[in-house]
Amino acid sequence: MFARRRFAVLKNLLEYAGLEPGRLHFSWISSAEAEKFQKTASRVIEEVRKLGPAKFVIKDLRKVA
Amino acid sequence: MEPEKAAEKIRQAAKKLLEEKKVDVVVGYAKGTVPMRDRPYFANTPEECANLTWSSFCCNNLASLLIGRKGKIGIVAQGCVSRNLAGLIQENQFKREDLYIIGVVSPGMVDRRKVQARFSGKVITEVAEDGEDLVVKGRGFEERVPKKEVKRDNCYTCMHRNPVIFDEMIGEKETDSFGGELDKVAAPWEKLTADERYREFKDTLKDCIRCYACRDACPLCYCHVCFVDETQPQWCGKTQDEADVETFHLLRAFHCAGRCTDCGACESACPQGIKMRRLTTKIEKDIRQMYGYEPGMNPEATPPMSVYRPNDPQDFIL
Amino acid sequence: MADKILAKDKLAELLAGLKKAHDVFAPQLKQGKVTWAPVEDAKDLLWDFANTEFSPKDFFFPQTECMMRFVNQAGDPQGMLMQDEPRLEPPRVLLNIRPCDAKAFGVLDMIFCQDEMTDDVYWRDKREKTVLIGLACNDPCPTCFCASVNCGPHHEAGLDLLLVDLGEKFLVKVLSEKGAALVQNLPEASSVDAAKAAELKKAAEGSMTGGVAMDQVNKREVMELFDAPMWNRVFESCLNCGTCTFCCPTCHCFDIQDETQGEAGRRVRNWDYCMSWLFTVHGTGHNPRPGKKERVRQRFMHKFKYIPLKRGGEIGCVGCGRCVLLCPVNIDVREVVNQMNA
Repeated sequence: MFARRRFAVLKNLLEYAGLEPGRLHFSWISSAEAEKFQKTASRVIEEVRKLGPAKFVIKDLRKVA
Repeated sequence: MEPEKAAEKIRQAAKKLLEEKKVDVVVGYAKGTVPMRDRPYFANTPEECANLTWSSFCCNNLASLLIGRKGKIGIVAQGCVSRNLAGLIQENQFKREDLYIIGVVSPGMVDRRKVQARFSGKVITEVAEDGEDLVVKGRGFEERVPKKEVKRDNCYTCMHRNPVIFDEMIGEKETDSFGGELDKVAAPWEKLTADERYREFKDTLKDCIRCYACRDACPLCYCHVCFVDETQPQWCGKTQDEADVETFHLLRAFHCAGRCTDCGACESACPQGIKMRRLTTKIEKDIRQMYGYEPGMNPEATPPMSVYRPNDPQDFIL
Repeated sequence: MADKILAKDKLAELLAGLKKAHDVFAPQLKQGKVTWAPVEDAKDLLWDFANTEFSPKDFFFPQTECMMRFVNQAGDPQGMLMQDEPRLEPPRVLLNIRPCDAKAFGVLDMIFCQDEMTDDVYWRDKREKTVLIGLACNDPCPTCFCASVNCGPHHEAGLDLLLVDLGEKFLVKVLSEKGAALVQNLPEASSVDAAKAAELKKAAEGSMTGGVAMDQVNKREVMELFDAPMWNRVFESCLNCGTCTFCCPTCHCFDIQDETQGEAGRRVRNWDYCMSWLFTVHGTGHNPRPGKKERVRQRFMHKFKYIPLKRGGEIGCVGCGRCVLLCPVNIDVREVVNQMNA
């Protein structure tokens, strides 16, 4: 419940700074809800994959000066 | 009240406090050694109070210098600073009874970089306040600049010039707001696409040199070990790579969520003139709109990130 | 080596000559600030600026510098090798550097390249490949105090050439072989020109008030200065940020780290600052400079007492005044040193 506020603020901040919408997801899942976890994870993976490689605040050590 | 008059009353109040031994030290401002800079000053004796001043050049946040000090402390505080004191009391950094707050109405502080920009490349040797204007003197020039054209960004949209907690008040309360509409200017990038926002964000931070002046000037940043100083593991890179600089600012802004009073000390301290408030004003706007909370208005309140209501917004949750 | 004259209308020609074999940098006005940038056109050069906000030390000591790269994978073509970083190419000219900044590099030479065992190849390579053409200050700023710390507005140490603005032309003081080679075709200066330059130098030095006195600092024992009660007040408003350290042309502390990502990595050197708690903390958690007071004292003692003691009288400060202008709480080094001297 407390996390809900923090997530709301964090998501807004990151997307405001340029994180592409669709990369950051939240869901309430208990460890007893196996099917929900599997379905949500699959959905998130598919959505994020469609967006391609991430560009927001990425550091690739092979590429930096 | 004219800053000069307020300064005299502050000196008298501070002297009295020290003479009556009500406090061990009075923290205020003294005249600086360079133009447009008054600087934090610790008056330990009634005689030292003669050095105290007040002006539109008081751009630090004195609350940050109190943390960790023992004993009874007198402090000169305008609206935003008094809100930080209230916040720090909420967070158990002070006991209310250890502080004696000399409340002042903020005249709105001058942004020295805006003044310098009007005399680009020239050396300014002296700046004095004269009513509504500044008298700016330099090598081969003397000009008047209206103060209201060169205030700090956050002062234009100030909503609380009057101190919210105080033990004595210098002068009368005045209109709380400076007239700017904070919610209109707090989150300008909201209208842009994600790519455009990222470009603005990168551009905002491109000159950052990781000096941490913003963090060190901020009254909210008092962790014994700041996250950037953690080494096992190291959360945040120490290099000048964009991603490292961006991580620092994003996380620091987030740590100030629900606590930032928009005092502007961060931007005033920054040697590069970086506008890192662009992140915190957005966060605080969200806090106002989603949770109806304004930081530091009441030392008894509970910080918004430490509570929840059953009907908090959650349309972002899958 | 004889002084030369550079007529102002010959500047573009000189610049073009320099650019044939060097990358040329100079302070220019970029977005309202005087900053070091590559020179495209002689028109962009500034002649009456004060100084750049930050020192040009990052030409020799970049804020983030990769020292080597490695890939920890046997099969990889770059695997199991530590790959050195390429050296500077092509050579450079720093044009219109102020004498204080040029002198500072001389001080840093003593620290980065002390002897056979302490020879910083990253520093030395860049230093050897850079020519410094200075611009004398005829109109020092109120915050400059170079004249009281063994430097001065027309100081020559560390420069290959020094330009003195005589009004319609520059006097070019030739101070090294490297410098001489660049101006061999310029006409020689007359004694009238030399006299004018000397006059300007005297006037500039004379206009500098508000310097520091160091006679007592030099005489006093280290521990007497170290234990002086003044330190109990100096540190009070210090934020312990890195602003003074980073803008200072003689500050040189750094931190070396290995960054890794999967099997790849690099060894990187970043600027560090002694105002930070983290700078001196030991693995055990013990910190020999545990509080603000110890760290603030360290800064001034290092620059004004320890370095002179260890480096034959050389002071760890060139009086550029940047820290005075940029310190967020306006701690003024001149005031502190004069207190040390009181």
